[in-house]
Amino acid sequence: MIEAINLKKTYHTKVKKGLFKREKDIVEAVKGINLRLEQGQIIGLLGINGAGKTTTIKMLSTLIKSTSGEIFIDGVEINENPLKIKQKVNMIAGGERMIYWRLTGRENLWYYGQLYGIPDKVLKARIDRLITLVGLNEKQDVPVERYSKGMKQRLQIARGLINNPDYLFMDEPTLGLDAPIAKEIRAYIKKLAVEEQKGILLTSHYIHEVEELCDYIYILDHGEVILEGTAKTLSESTFETKITVLELAEINPAIEATIQKFALDEKAVIHEQTHAHIMRFESKNELTESLVKLIHSEKLPLSKLYVEAPKLEDTIIEISRRVSI
Amino acid sequence: MKRFMKVVRAEARKQFKNKIHNIWVVFSMLIWPVLAFAAAYFQFKPFAFEAITEKVSYLNDESIMTYLMIGYFAMVFFRSFVQSAWEFSSERIYGTLELIYLSPANRIAVILGNAIASLLINVWMFVLFMTGIYVLFNHVPLMNVPVLVLALIMMVLMSILWGMLLNALFLFTRDSGMLFTVLEEPMELFAGVKIPVELFPLWAKGIGLAFPLTYVIRLLREVVFLGRSLLEVSSLFYTCIFICTIMFVATVFILKWGEKHNAITGDMALF
Repeated sequence: MIEAINLKKTYHTKVKKGLFKREKDIVEAVKGINLRLEQGQIIGLLGINGAGKTTTIKMLSTLIKSTSGEIFIDGVEINENPLKIKQKVNMIAGGERMIYWRLTGRENLWYYGQLYGIPDKVLKARIDRLITLVGLNEKQDVPVERYSKGMKQRLQIARGLINNPDYLFMDEPTLGLDAPIAKEIRAYIKKLAVEEQKGILLTSHYIHEVEELCDYIYILDHGEVILEGTAKTLSESTFETKITVLELAEINPAIEATIQKFALDEKAVIHEQTHAHIMRFESKNELTESLVKLIHSEKLPLSKLYVEAPKLEDTIIEISRRVSI
Repeated sequence: MKRFMKVVRAEARKQFKNKIHNIWVVFSMLIWPVLAFAAAYFQFKPFAFEAITEKVSYLNDESIMTYLMIGYFAMVFFRSFVQSAWEFSSERIYGTLELIYLSPANRIAVILGNAIASLLINVWMFVLFMTGIYVLFNHVPLMNVPVLVLALIMMVLMSILWGMLLNALFLFTRDSGMLFTVLEEPMELFAGVKIPVELFPLWAKGIGLAFPLTYVIRLLREVVFLGRSLLEVSSLFYTCIFICTIMFVATVFILKWGEKHNAITGDMALF
């Protein structure tokens, strides 16, 4: 398990003011983050640019040193034995960098494998397995410069797995990819967590991606975790009202009047829909039970009745709105 | 040690494949030093050497070809590292440096591998060319072959350490273009590649002392032209060993300090 406790990072930078003058500037990139990641779990870091996502990943992966706070990976503090920690983690970034374009896919994997001191036989078998896993068998001996974006990203995933890490940090893994390829990559990521028991920390600007993949989400703003939980609990804690949707097979003025009276009694607001027979009730509590009673008593032609869970995107928008206020 | 050598081999192989993607790249690396050598030779040829011979006894109309040959021969080793170290700094930009630092690989092994690759890529063809020129045009008889071999070994060792030092420097500086300018042309001028250091004013001699190439060229010329014995050039050898030690210690220090510094500043890469 990875456990970060009260993690802080402050950068001391110098800002140019004219040709010779420089002023010192202090940037608090991360201001006391606590997070946990277990093997087989996918957690998400969400936040706008400058929220501290990348700095957090770099601290967790030993690339930068925290100003204060502690990080334990499987019980070992990362500064105690960084070489051991480096064997347990790896990082995958979106985009087309971090691979050598003039080398073939196989050569890239071989090079990175050598950096981890993997014995030759083990490395060869692992490269074969990874190439199959990411579906690059036919292109493994072709220079990367001839790969498509999706193929490069798949190679990145294979590269990130070359040391068989227990934990993977993925920074925008589907950045700039077409929808079908992004979907394919998401399937790989899910597979890695479920089948290979990798603990995955994911950052993404695509909220639906985080919602689809992550078991737990941290929302960062200006270096702080402002909210955390599952997509469901985040929405529940963000929105004070619930949406209950009633779909009827038909609608007529009498039914409409009954519905209006019901809404008034329950202090619910009915949102307008494109189809008159679909009604969205916004109220403090779920209305399913009272609507079931109404349907029975008034013999309404029910088609569907359900509670609409707010999308994570709506949650983020709402949180951003509150933060900006 | 086995793991160290694996990283050296992997890095050298990567650099080799990354740079030599086309056979013509190899031939193109010969053009510049050959042209520079030819230009220097034909610049000096029309002038009388009497005045110079007073200060550099072995430099005359007949020995000028071999004199320049030694200068350029040694310089190609050192200069190729300035260029390759400059190219190595691109690892920062492409984000691959970050992945090297994410791994537990020995950092010295990485830059040693890079330096060896540069040596093999940039130098071998010029060495062949120079050997051909030497066989065809040399007028200076070889007097002390065993010491010459030792001097050549020293040259290779020093140039590799120079390459490692530059790689370490270029990895951690954001102003690699400036370093490149400072190291490229001045090295050729002040190390005595074509103009004898003995002719320089004191301040220029002082600058020349900062380049390891200066000592290598002097060692080679003294062995080739004056047939010096090992005892006679021992002080030069010791100086070279001392400089090698300084370069190695500086490399280790820069690598350790640089990584530590970048871990604090977050400057390692730009992803």
